[in-house]
Amino acid sequence: MDGSISVHELVKTYKGDVKAVQGVSFEVGEGEFFAFLGPNGAGKSTTVQILTTLVKPTTGTIRIGGVDVGEEPERVRWNIGVALQETGIDPVLTGRELIEMQARLFGFTKKEAKTRADELLTLVDLNDAADRPCGKYSGGMRRRLDLALTLVHKPKILFLDEPTTGLDPSNRQAIWKEIKRLNREEGTTIFLTTQYLEEADQLADRISIINQGKIVASGSAEELKRTLGFDAIQLVFEADEEAERASKVLADLGENIECSKDEVTLYTENGTQLLSELVRKLDENNLSPKKLNVKPPSLDDVFINVTNEQKERA
Amino acid sequence: MSEQRKGSFLVDTLVFTKRSIVTIIRNPLIFIPNLIISLFFLFVYEGGLSGISELPAFEGANYLAFILPVSIVSAAIGGAGGAGQALVKDLENGYFSRLLLTPSSRLAIVLGPIIAGMLQLLIQTGLILVVAYFLGLEVAAGFGGVIVVLLLTLGWGLAFAGYSVGVALRTKNAQSAQAGTFVFFPLIFLSTTFVPYELIEAGWLKVAATINPTTYLFEAMRSVFIDGWEAWPLVRGFLVIALLCAITISFSAISASKAVSAD
Ligand SMILES: Nc1ncnc2c1ncn2[C@@H]1O[C@H](COP(=O)(O)OP(=O)(O)OP(=O)(O)O)[C@@H](O)[C@H]1O
Ligand SMILES: [Mg+2]
Repeated sequence: MDGSISVHELVKTYKGDVKAVQGVSFEVGEGEFFAFLGPNGAGKSTTVQILTTLVKPTTGTIRIGGVDVGEEPERVRWNIGVALQETGIDPVLTGRELIEMQARLFGFTKKEAKTRADELLTLVDLNDAADRPCGKYSGGMRRRLDLALTLVHKPKILFLDEPTTGLDPSNRQAIWKEIKRLNREEGTTIFLTTQYLEEADQLADRISIINQGKIVASGSAEELKRTLGFDAIQLVFEADEEAERASKVLADLGENIECSKDEVTLYTENGTQLLSELVRKLDENNLSPKKLNVKPPSLDDVFINVTNEQKERA
Repeated sequence: MSEQRKGSFLVDTLVFTKRSIVTIIRNPLIFIPNLIISLFFLFVYEGGLSGISELPAFEGANYLAFILPVSIVSAAIGGAGGAGQALVKDLENGYFSRLLLTPSSRLAIVLGPIIAGMLQLLIQTGLILVVAYFLGLEVAAGFGGVIVVLLLTLGWGLAFAGYSVGVALRTKNAQSAQAGTFVFFPLIFLSTTFVPYELIEAGWLKVAATINPTTYLFEAMRSVFIDGWEAWPLVRGFLVIALLCAITISFSAISASKAVSAD
């Protein structure tokens, strides 16, 4: 069994005709770092639950390390580590007990389980709280313990569904560093969903964006930005009211315009050429921005664009 | 490395059982109220109602021996119901999914809390029997009779644990699972709970007592406490329990297989 993931025409329809996933296909190679992005309710967690044997697909085939998930779920479970979006922790047991128990269930002897617990508690910086019941942990501590449980058996493939949500910046960075190390040094395949797009940008070899159950864009971060073919012109105003007015005036200049508070972002095919017209329009309307920036799109821009396009079409 | 390791049903069951026992011990509130209620049955009814055992229908039996099975059976229900409660908690806090993601035996996941519940139940029953002994209990069938009572209790507990686990896995929420345990009230009270069958006046209660499986459990236990070794009540008691276990354990097995592969 290797570290690859192969998903073909995955469909999941929940009771009440909720079409959570509508025909998703993708491949992740061994040792690859794959990020699965998408807005709330897009179908990311549903996909993770299906890929990890927890939920049955309506139709479609999934192979994890070449093994069919529907046919041999147990073989798949030996080789994957899964951190679901909702942590799964027994509040009565202590952190150490939970890790040791997890290790025992993965075939470790008692002694091995103890050693592994020590290693992992240090890794996620929970040594001080190791012998307190997990019910008394803070949200971030629970999240870190959940990650430790995910790593117990040194899985070949890691599924991480928003693993750093709710962590403070320093803990988040520590977790990212470890995920990166597992991928780069141990060759662990990573399937990650996250709302922190810059991190996906830096870490992921490949990204797919899912929206309303369908993959709407795929490629490396660079490719995605390039195919977007847009520049983003960012304008910051003194007052929110000015920004709002500007977004109306400039609307027909670009493909897409976003306005939030005192900031307007205009997506356009060629930012530099448009600038003179843009400045003229602002002048005519007595609008003068505090700040004006033309930049190549960030992953955030790609994300907003591809997911908005869909909304408009719908 | 992970692929070389092997799963073992025995280890899994042991791990899950141990964990359930630890959970029970750390939450004494899970079993103490139940135990108190059962002892309450014993003290209050023995103290307050024992006069009625002078009636001829009791054939000279001691009321303590008559009411003791009620106390034991109600304690057993609490112990067995705990298995379902434990699973509901796991389902609610997401730990159940974490367990399903391990390669451990699915059966062991459900079996752990059941075995722990049975152990709890045996200890409770032992405790109640000791208290009854100090209240003056004499067992007509001797020590063997005590073993029979423990076996009957275990069987009954297993049947009820199967039921509670089935309800837990089906409803997946604490309130419904709790509500599910309320069937025990009619089961315990619509029976020969306080007086022998001949003394039940209301026709409907006679009917209820006849179809209520608990009646046969009470009768079997009473026969060893009061009359000694009699074949028929024991055969009937064990048969009824075997039938109940078959039904509720199939119910829980079906519910479990649905719960572990959600669609
Ligand atoms: N068990 C379920 N029963 C019915 N519908 C469900 C169930 N789980 C998810 N859904 C629905 O499926 C859709 C996709 O949900 P999913 O949790 O996969 O989204 P997500 O991309 O993970 O979102 P988020 O970023 O908010 O975590 C949603 O419309 C959700 O309401
Ligand atoms: Mg999600």
